[in-house]
Amino acid sequence: MGRQVAIVSAGFSEHASKRSDVNMAELVSEAVSDCLKNAPGVDFNDIDAYVNGNMPAFEGVNLPELWMTDWMGARNKPLLRVTTGGTTGGTVAISGYYTVAAGLPKIDTVLAVAFEQQSQGDTSVGLGSVAYGEISVLNTMGIPYDQLSRLLSAGAAIGVAAYQATNYMSKTHITEEDLARVVVQNRHNAAKTWWSHLKMPDITVEEVLDTPYISYPLRYGMVCPASDGACAMLFTIEEKAKDMCDIPVYVNGVASVANESAVLGYDGSGTGQIDPSEQLGAMKSSELAYYQAGISFPRKEIDYAEVYSPFPNQELMWVEKLGLFEETTAPKMYETGVTSLKGELPINCSGGVNSTNAIGASAMERPAEAALQIMGKADNQVPKTVHTSIGHGWGGSLNLCTLMVMSDEPQRKWRR
Amino acid sequence: MSKLTQRKSLDYVKKDYVRTRTMPGNWYLASYQYKFNITHNNEFLKKLKDKKIVGNQCSGCNRVFFPPRLVCGKCLVKPDQWVDLRETGRVATFAIVYLKDPETGEVQEKPTVLIHQDGADTAIIAQLNPEVDFKDTYIGMPVKIHWAEDRTGGLMDIEYYDVLEDDAEDMNPKK
Repeated sequence: MGRQVAIVSAGFSEHASKRSDVNMAELVSEAVSDCLKNAPGVDFNDIDAYVNGNMPAFEGVNLPELWMTDWMGARNKPLLRVTTGGTTGGTVAISGYYTVAAGLPKIDTVLAVAFEQQSQGDTSVGLGSVAYGEISVLNTMGIPYDQLSRLLSAGAAIGVAAYQATNYMSKTHITEEDLARVVVQNRHNAAKTWWSHLKMPDITVEEVLDTPYISYPLRYGMVCPASDGACAMLFTIEEKAKDMCDIPVYVNGVASVANESAVLGYDGSGTGQIDPSEQLGAMKSSELAYYQAGISFPRKEIDYAEVYSPFPNQELMWVEKLGLFEETTAPKMYETGVTSLKGELPINCSGGVNSTNAIGASAMERPAEAALQIMGKADNQVPKTVHTSIGHGWGGSLNLCTLMVMSDEPQRKWRR
Repeated sequence: MSKLTQRKSLDYVKKDYVRTRTMPGNWYLASYQYKFNITHNNEFLKKLKDKKIVGNQCSGCNRVFFPPRLVCGKCLVKPDQWVDLRETGRVATFAIVYLKDPETGEVQEKPTVLIHQDGADTAIIAQLNPEVDFKDTYIGMPVKIHWAEDRTGGLMDIEYYDVLEDDAEDMNPKK
């Protein structure tokens, strides 16, 4: 079996809609130096290998990892680039885990870096290049491309999220007020986190409901921003981790499960799944990762969760699909404050993807923040002691779910 | 809530960053040739011309695909039977798109829907009758195909879906 892997440190760069003062490589360097600042015992010489990734075609730079080799301190060291669209960050973190767990000689400490500078490029071109392979099948059946992009709500991710939202809302009988409440909690949490983007300490539910619709039922005030930012995580083996920091966080389970996208009409309906809020991939990934981590009762054993929710309806959907709450009960939990900072199961205390979305990095910011909460180093620290936390990511061609389960104790069940 | 009260944007704590030099650049991308196997579609597209719709059925799991698929997603075999489908269906899910007219600046509200055709197991992306008030759309709404005047043998032969008015109890699931 593989080696036990621990997270020693995590770091972020500052996020904003336009980081006009830095370029992509300097942005990454900011996150790397913040990561090393959190682990004072670690030097660039201690890092043995690098994993790197961002969303392709968003910034107009191919092979950015070769450009920023020096800025990460990766010269003459093994370097790997992984990219899976919206879950890039989650996959980069999992690749960092795999690299350490594999037990290769002389590779013990791995730095995983994910980044995105969306202000530099055209996001819709990048999204179009991803979606075109899937929807162009309908072209062969006689639907022109301009018609298609309109049918898919201008092709962006919000169209798919709107479909998920209508199905979720009709299933649970919630109103837009419930969605706005999720947003308000996220924005308030983001205001207390130094690296987050949309800081709105005084926003209210009424103000969110007063903004125009982008695509029913999602309003302007409910959707995520487009940010510039980077994130870095340091993985190492159990024996070295204790020297590098006070409270190492052990990675006990990872999963990256793809499911059919189920909504883009032709290509996603091979298994006859027509409900976009069903999300079997999330259920399967949680089943797998909890089994690896030895968690039988996720509702009781997990103390903190970071889920990937660019839109508020997704946050409600994921916490149910990941087994944290019963089906259809999540809106009530947000209303009664169970998920707030001082609640029983705090969710997205960094503000979540809803407040900060640097596409390539945001799926890695989830496990990074969840690890910092266990270490007690997070900016918006949960008052209770966090023993087990999860970091979730969603993306790919709208169908890939990544999950990382972390704890302050190593899982001995499957390892010698 | 009237549109007059609607806010265009929300204020948030902003930080000004130093501006450095910005160099504009362009990518002139080549055109690509994507390849698709459409042999399984030919019969389906021919029948659309005659106002008939068919789906193909997997003999392994009895699932009916509309529009037809080359490979069943679950059994990974070729669906080999043709099944006639009715013209009616249900709204599987919907979203409302807000499109701005570039000339007049007028914002149009258009529901785009995924239709679950009766007799099929998959959903297809489609449009509703433009005269339908978008507030009346709901999941499970019964609809019927409205055929285009001149049909060319393509999915655009289904111009849009009409709302089926039926007062029977079982046709009216709760909103």
